[in-house]
Amino acid sequence: MSQMITIELNGEQQPFPPGSSVSDLLAIIGSDGKSVAVVVNEQIIRPENRLSHLLQEGDRVELLMFAGGG
Amino acid sequence: MDLLHFGSYTFSSRLILGTGKFSNSTVMLDAVRSSGAQLVTVALRRFNREQAEDDLFGPLSAIKGITLMPNTSGASTASEAVRAAHIARELSGSPFIKVEIHPNPQHLMPDPIETFEASRILAKEGFLVMPYIAADPVLAKRLEEVGCASVMPLGSAIGSGQGLATSEMLNIIIRESGIPVIVDAGLRSPSEAAHAMEMGCEAVLVNSAVAVAGNPPAMAEAFAEAVVAGRKAFRSGLMQKSGSAIATSPLTSFLGTL
Repeated sequence: MSQMITIELNGEQQPFPPGSSVSDLLAIIGSDGKSVAVVVNEQIIRPENRLSHLLQEGDRVELLMFAGGG
Repeated sequence: MDLLHFGSYTFSSRLILGTGKFSNSTVMLDAVRSSGAQLVTVALRRFNREQAEDDLFGPLSAIKGITLMPNTSGASTASEAVRAAHIARELSGSPFIKVEIHPNPQHLMPDPIETFEASRILAKEGFLVMPYIAADPVLAKRLEEVGCASVMPLGSAIGSGQGLATSEMLNIIIRESGIPVIVDAGLRSPSEAAHAMEMGCEAVLVNSAVAVAGNPPAMAEAFAEAVVAGRKAFRSGLMQKSGSAIATSPLTSFLGTL
């Protein structure tokens, strides 16, 4: 497993295969990505760029969605 | 037709519904449908893979005629709110943003300085900014001047059910405002919503009063009817108050001899 990279996903350290794209990450965690916003190192990754955006060691990834609120 | 306008958006419903605090999403969706609300607020939260079914975007988007108005709840500074607004717009595809910055969870009063700054930045970026504020006429005017689409002063504290405790200040805000005034927070009963509309509010935003009602969909419908009645009354011109009685029946020429 020494080949894995570590990223910070919603505040928690998580191992991922090197070369993983944002789309790969969404597939791994079981999200279709349609209703999730992805922010990597404070930069919004738009849906059309998720396939090509590769994750790097130490990236801070935030996945956000809508929940109930007033 | 009496429509509510924000930018290029028009709405026939003047009831804005919040989606928090419902017992489950099925009840919430039923309440949204029976309210007839066309603007619906949502909050931004971290994705939780254990609770992925809690996502509201899909089911809300499937209801015809709904525009989402994300809020920035959770932000305690202007910069956090601006960041939240950018992310929310990616998800909602809507230019509406409810700027909500309340740093103290004990009273949830909005921070006027951070709210003003976030609203100024977001209005400049083209958002339709709907700031949640204390019922402060000076702040309301300043927010209008920086291009907000509306101001949303509180009737009373969020979730308190204390109704229109700020009505004196709301009257001043409504009188002075060149943009729609929407009472947001504190309403408990449909009659309070009707009262806010009779005062000249352009809309009301209700969440807790519907979400924690015994029958949320029915209460949503009751609020919708009250908002329609209050708006109609406002547009019909309420009579002036008088300090003394003014008879509605003739007091003279009654049976001649009596």
